[in-house]
Amino acid sequence: MAEPLLEVSDLSVRFDTDDGPVHAVDKLSFTLNRGEVLGIVGESGCGKSVTCMSLVRLLPETAVISGNAVFDGVDLLALPPKRLRAIRGRDISFVFQEPMTSLNPVFRIGHQIGEVLTRHLGLSRSDARTRTIELLDLVRIPSPAQRIDEYPHQLSGGMRQRVMIAMALACNPRVLIADEPTTALDVTIQAGVLDLMRDVRERLGTSIVLITHNLGVVADIADRVVVMYAGRKAEEAPVGDLYAAPQHPYTIGLLGAIPRPYHGDGERPRLREIPGRVPSLRELPQMCAFADRCPRADELSRSQVPELRFVRPDHLVACFHPGPE
Amino acid sequence: MSDAAALEVRNLVKHYRVGTGITGGGSIVHAVDDVSFEVRRGELLGLVGESGSGKSTVANCVMRLTEPTSGEILLRGSDITHLSRREMRPLRRELHMVFQDPYSSLNPRMSCGAIVGEPLRLHGIAKGGELRTRVEETFDLVGLRSELRYRYPHELSGGQRQRVGLARALILKPSVLIADEPVSALDVSVQASILNLLRDLQREMGFSCLFITHDLATVEFLCDRVAVMYLGKLVELAPREELFASPQHPYTQALLSAAVVPDPEEQRTRKRTVLEGDVPSPLAPPSGCRFHTRCPLEPRSAPRSSEEEPPLTEFTPGHLVACHLVSAGRPAPRLVEEPAKIA
Amino acid sequence: MSVVDATALTSPRARRRVLLRKRFLRRPMAVVGLVIVVVFVVVAALAPWVAPYSASATDFNAILAHSSSKHLLGTDELGRDELSRLIWGGRASMQAGFLATLLAMIVAVPIGMVAGYYRGWVDTAIARITDVLLAFPFLILAVGLAAILGPSLTNATLALGIASMPGLIRIARGEVLALREEDFVPAAVANGANDFTIIFRHILPNMTSTLLVQATLTIPGAIIGEAALSFLGLGVQPPTPSWGVMLQDAQSYLSQDSRLAVFPGLAIVIVSLAFNVLGDGLRDIFDPRTTR
Repeated sequence: MAEPLLEVSDLSVRFDTDDGPVHAVDKLSFTLNRGEVLGIVGESGCGKSVTCMSLVRLLPETAVISGNAVFDGVDLLALPPKRLRAIRGRDISFVFQEPMTSLNPVFRIGHQIGEVLTRHLGLSRSDARTRTIELLDLVRIPSPAQRIDEYPHQLSGGMRQRVMIAMALACNPRVLIADEPTTALDVTIQAGVLDLMRDVRERLGTSIVLITHNLGVVADIADRVVVMYAGRKAEEAPVGDLYAAPQHPYTIGLLGAIPRPYHGDGERPRLREIPGRVPSLRELPQMCAFADRCPRADELSRSQVPELRFVRPDHLVACFHPGPE
Repeated sequence: MSDAAALEVRNLVKHYRVGTGITGGGSIVHAVDDVSFEVRRGELLGLVGESGSGKSTVANCVMRLTEPTSGEILLRGSDITHLSRREMRPLRRELHMVFQDPYSSLNPRMSCGAIVGEPLRLHGIAKGGELRTRVEETFDLVGLRSELRYRYPHELSGGQRQRVGLARALILKPSVLIADEPVSALDVSVQASILNLLRDLQREMGFSCLFITHDLATVEFLCDRVAVMYLGKLVELAPREELFASPQHPYTQALLSAAVVPDPEEQRTRKRTVLEGDVPSPLAPPSGCRFHTRCPLEPRSAPRSSEEEPPLTEFTPGHLVACHLVSAGRPAPRLVEEPAKIA
Repeated sequence: MSVVDATALTSPRARRRVLLRKRFLRRPMAVVGLVIVVVFVVVAALAPWVAPYSASATDFNAILAHSSSKHLLGTDELGRDELSRLIWGGRASMQAGFLATLLAMIVAVPIGMVAGYYRGWVDTAIARITDVLLAFPFLILAVGLAAILGPSLTNATLALGIASMPGLIRIARGEVLALREEDFVPAAVANGANDFTIIFRHILPNMTSTLLVQATLTIPGAIIGEAALSFLGLGVQPPTPSWGVMLQDAQSYLSQDSRLAVFPGLAIVIVSLAFNVLGDGLRDIFDPRTTR
């Protein structure tokens, strides 16, 4: 039975810049259920990273956030900073894309993980060290008792990402938000990290929000998928449904753009292109954000913002003309 | 000397010294070690590898942005390995490059039209009205509206900038194009348009292309033959279909199996191998076969694999493999595979 | 698609200028700095028309007089109008400041660029020499050079220029080191460009903001340096005024009338601060990471 853990409703994020406002996220709503992996997919500028950073207030001062994000009965967006800091790292933790810049190069990795433990759980130094070794083992770092005293630069990219994950799991959080965790890694290393994340979900029951632009990664590990475009949700479905029967023209376009093995006889077909560009986020268009690039666009799509509607149970689309190709 | 090859690389070696002070010392990065291959006229050769494989170093050597430590590079039969900058200049009309980063490969202070026209100016081929015309034509060729000539790079999207990079590389109609991860920094939908464009242009203009990437799906779409590199060495080279249908080298097999497929059912049920450990450092590559420290088949090839480097041998005509377990007609064992744990 | 907006019609240069201007105006300190600098420069440039008296006109009836309607800031020990001497003195001091900086930039920037671009032994040689020079405090270096060259405004300017070079060499070198890693440099090589083209046509235009900021921050150092040199008798020779000379003259009268020292001193402080604040503001607005 799906049990909601994090419920985000009508989240909007606006950046007030020198050149005017930028509407990064526009009334986005989604739910993360206990024990599930939710994939948030989209290309650059769609607002996926901004969404998750806004939940734990990692955005700069120029960001104006509105809406609700209810976690455990508390609205994260309305919490005073001190209480939020208690949750951040402990109940909700983050894994970033670039492990080298998110780990402090001048501290040993044992120290960095230990810091989280002493701060949030109040563990003593020796207890923290024991637990750190446990965590390094959990993320399958070989010889954890030796590696605990190493510096980030002594580890490879894949290892550092595992250390990040260990740090994120230190306090056994209920939600792990991973922002492009494997994008900077080699393919062979990525496979291992994805296996690890799956393992984490099974063994510890952590719910995961996985942000990525890589549709293969999502296919590998996600249970449900949200497709974002220009700050809005375009489609949401269980993973099997999304790939087997995408409804939104953008999702269809995206899936068609990926090269796949071709075993036919004739000339190999072109990759599917999506003409045009992502619209500027400087205004909130009062129409379907994808209309200018959509083969199905008409008067209706250019004059109103499509609402999210169920086309199948569990399958939402924001489109006036949803459906297969 | 084969004149059928547009570009030939023979026994290329590139070592870098790092950590040297005035007193010398320091260590050597074995970026590329004894790599040989050729790019035939009109073909697209994919060069695949992960970080540390040396593929970008190969590109830099071929472009003579750096001088090889040893070995030879032949451009349409002429040896360009040790030419000076000045001697290389006229040959630069035949050879150009597209770079990975659409943001840093264009000078932010130059308009796009100036960027694309620069090769014409520098080689004294055209100026004034004629230059403008050719720039416009090339913009058209890569699918850019001609008014973008007056814009600056930061005003264009990533995909548009990459088109500008392509235009700059192709305006002199070179016979060889080196593409170093040209789409890796772009969004998926934009990648598709650039890949399509590259394929169209290659067919239309007939240039030979060395396409460097870490993404196997792209290589499968675009390339005629594929070369796989690991830690500075060429481990496998084969026509595309054959490489994907029957990969021989254990590293190639692992690479193919680790790639994620955008299809949940297939991705979660397919069997795959996950390599243990990390890529060793190019400062101290393993002895013998460089892959032996991570090779799942190592028990079968030991002790030879740690003592002797496997030579590149012909498995079938046109299909070369550097593995002790592979020889002519005798394929490599399939890797022991575990099904991906189903969520 | 193309949303046709007004911004598409203005050139990118114009839009950037508007953006920079907006950012600048949001920094009141920098604006104040700019205003002060402009006022001082204009007054100094228009000295022949603005100064009420000539710098050497003496009036022995009004020695060490306090401010009056005839002499707004009073007179000095020889009855010369203080305000006029401040203005003429400012002219000399700021001229030295600007010219020294200009000289330093013209020589140091190419040297730094060559060092950063070529690396190797050229870089090692230049960097080590620069490091040695940087070990000397700026004023010590300037004084030493001025002493060798002999006392005059020109020599002082020269000495100050040379003393300002090591810092600028290092900055230019640093910029080039970063910029040469950008992909457009190998792209230019692939185009067939030679080193000269790459350095001056590709790299240098990308350094202009940094160089502008550095110049703005070097000028006050040179102004203070000129004052120091003239104070020590190594710069402008009296009776030609400069702020440093005025300070030197005021020394003997400090107990009697500190006014004579305060005015030129204040002038130096105000101008230097103004340049520094302006330079900081410029550095801020050019930084792509600035958000407001």
